[in-house]
Amino acid sequence: MKNNNDYVTHNHDHYKDHRQRDLANRKYKDGADICIVGAGAAGGVLAYELSKAGFSVVVIEAGPFWNPQTDFASDELAAQSLAWQDTRLSTGKDALTFGHNNSGRGVGGGTVHFTGVFLRFHESDFKTKTIDGVGEDWPIEYQDLAPYYDKIERDIAVSGPKEFPWGSFHGPYPYPERNPISANSQVFRKGCDRLGIKSVVAPLAILSAPFDGRPPCISRGFCNQGCMPNSKFSTLIHHIPKAIGYGAEVLSDCMVTRIELDDQGKAKGVTFNHDGKEHFQKAKLVIVSAFAVETPRLLLNSTCSKFPQGLANSSGLVGRYLLTHTGHDIYAKFDDEVRLYKGTPVMALSQDFYETDRSRGFARGYTMNAHGGRPVSLAKNLAVSAGIWGSDLYEIMRDYNFYARITIVGEVLPDYNNFVTLSEEKDEYGIPRALASFSYGDNDNKMIAHGVAKANEILEAADGKAAFVIPDSAHLMGGCRMGRDPAASVVDEFCRSHDISNLYICDASAFVTSGGGNPTETVMAIAARTAQHIINSR
Amino acid sequence: MYEKQRTRYKGFNVLDEKKEWDQHTEEIVLKRLGPFAAPKFLLPEEKEMLKAIASHLIYDDRKEILEFVINHTDESLTSPVGEGERKPDAPPLKDLIRWGLKALDNAARGQFDCSFVELNAGQQFEMVAALQKAKAYLVPDWQQIPQKELFKKLASLIVSAYYAHPTIWSEIGYAGPAYPRGYVRLEFGLTDPWEAERNEE
Ligand SMILES: Cc1cc2nc3c(=O)[nH]c(=O)nc-3n(C[C@H](O)[C@H](O)[C@H](O)COP(=O)(O)OP(=O)(O)OC[C@H]3O[C@@H](n4cnc5c(N)ncnc54)[C@H](O)[C@@H]3O)c2cc1C
Ligand code: SF4
Repeated sequence: MKNNNDYVTHNHDHYKDHRQRDLANRKYKDGADICIVGAGAAGGVLAYELSKAGFSVVVIEAGPFWNPQTDFASDELAAQSLAWQDTRLSTGKDALTFGHNNSGRGVGGGTVHFTGVFLRFHESDFKTKTIDGVGEDWPIEYQDLAPYYDKIERDIAVSGPKEFPWGSFHGPYPYPERNPISANSQVFRKGCDRLGIKSVVAPLAILSAPFDGRPPCISRGFCNQGCMPNSKFSTLIHHIPKAIGYGAEVLSDCMVTRIELDDQGKAKGVTFNHDGKEHFQKAKLVIVSAFAVETPRLLLNSTCSKFPQGLANSSGLVGRYLLTHTGHDIYAKFDDEVRLYKGTPVMALSQDFYETDRSRGFARGYTMNAHGGRPVSLAKNLAVSAGIWGSDLYEIMRDYNFYARITIVGEVLPDYNNFVTLSEEKDEYGIPRALASFSYGDNDNKMIAHGVAKANEILEAADGKAAFVIPDSAHLMGGCRMGRDPAASVVDEFCRSHDISNLYICDASAFVTSGGGNPTETVMAIAARTAQHIINSR
Repeated sequence: MYEKQRTRYKGFNVLDEKKEWDQHTEEIVLKRLGPFAAPKFLLPEEKEMLKAIASHLIYDDRKEILEFVINHTDESLTSPVGEGERKPDAPPLKDLIRWGLKALDNAARGQFDCSFVELNAGQQFEMVAALQKAKAYLVPDWQQIPQKELFKKLASLIVSAYYAHPTIWSEIGYAGPAYPRGYVRLEFGLTDPWEAERNEE
């Protein structure tokens, strides 16, 4: 592409103004220090930190290197293409929906179309077993991640309140909170105020003032469709271009199909497919950052004589303890227009119900997000998930502007029987398609009921009338959980696999429990900590 | 049948603002107005059946809008991209739709002795409603076709396309694409000058 003056240039090659397609001439053909599979939230941070520290880094990404100006659009239907749409088989009592709802594809991964809600985990999230007797303890504590949370927030200029009332971090955030907030978020805060529930303007990976050559948010509301003005952080526009500046190479449109081992049983590189042709990338260290479904799938597909059950799987736990968040959407109707399409979708939230309160009848808790939305996803979810169609659907949608919404992001407890594995059916690369199974447990269902009731109370306190609830889930995690005991976990506290010393698995799949809030800041803090560990052990 | 009040925003046309949109988005949206190429996947009889089913799901039988809905469905069925997720016991999307429509037609013939498109609106509605509950008239075809999955995939394709049509945006008072302009007046009760103004009654 010639004369590309966009903020994000197509600079994944190393020859100015030219999109490198010739894989025979790639930069680290003879081997790199580090090969990262997946350029999403974790992969982007790892590429940045490691190339900055002087390692030669190759990032191999299955999807395209997006150009926000010409690839994104202010349109829901068109934006489906940003998601990982490859077919996955999904089953279980509460079979998960995959695609735009939870899986990104292309440089930036899920951060390209995420909502930007940027939260830290609480101290209790790392030891639910010790504190509440449910779930499992992480091998790390909040304090281990705290410096990395600080760093990530500063690196991308997170906007947020001066005073954050919950957890261990109370602000202030590097950039001021967003102002004004949307009508939907105002409605939420009004309802909370009237009930004595604390709420704040949401901490967001979205600029409230100029930063690093990027403009502040213009409140157009299409964060889930990719931010065209570049006001929302993504690793596509932040970490990856900077990593390239430090010498990293990004090979986009390249699907990694296998991790290869040498005779000693150590990782020696990866095989990937570009335009139907197979290539090999040699590296001294391999990091898999391909997200909660593709990471286990790739490990399970990389069987060899030494590891016939797949790589890093001596525990038999690769793909097990798959986590999501309960994500029920609660709607109420108002006499006046709220107009859910305006502004960043989430501009206010509450974590008053985050920690365990046994009087509620369940363990752990949830975040409540005031959550805007657009017609296509609302109508589709009404029809498909709530079973509302025909004139009922038409009547709700005619009054689309009069509805307000709250979304629950609730902690799902880890369960061995929620998993990703390989199915019998193969995709175009010859890799077995992923088969995922998910069912909510008893505690999860009690939490959902509580969250739905609370959300309705808040909306009614704000003068709305409870209208309908759409069951939904959000965010995937787990599948390669971290832990101290190699028999009960897949990676150690630095995301290094127990079985293969130069194979790291670093992304949302390393989560042990889901926490009760949006997970990406934790994904990125873990990645930054893993990078530091690799740098330290050089 | 579709006589209900369709809009609270008479006279609002989101396309009046298209000069304010970025070019890429504008091209995408304007294509939805047609003209449309002939379907690549759907056979003529499948197209007619889908139109009938769609009009029940979206409660609308305007020709130009149904044409877009069918066109979007056909494009989704010819696209090499995956379908996100599928139940292990359901056939791949293309087969699910093709065999599913056939099954529904056979069920219509079994139950009413004529093809699905020849049924009256009430009978068609009843059959779509039965499909949602997996209670369609029993024919052997259903052994390969999970009815609820068929209903969900049809609903997903059809409803998504319908609410992506600029005419429907105008009717529900949705301001559509918003780049590079964005919104200034976000708060309760405030609107930017180009947003829809309610004028019902
Ligand atoms: C609509 C939506 C809204 C969200 N909103 C929020 C929010 O507000 N706040 C929040 O905290 N989180 C949010 N999330 C979740 C967030 O996107 C994820 O938590 C995060 O992106 C996970 O990071 P990751 O690095 O594990 O994976 P990803 O970011 O998904 O990156 C994985 C990358 O690996 C690539 N890949 C996969 N397989 C291969 C392979 N075999 N070869 C090469 N490359 C491969 C993928 O294409 C992808 O780019 C949202 C997600 C979605 C979809
Ligand atoms: S609301 Fe702000 S952050 Fe979201 S897409 Fe629009 S400009 Fe970007």
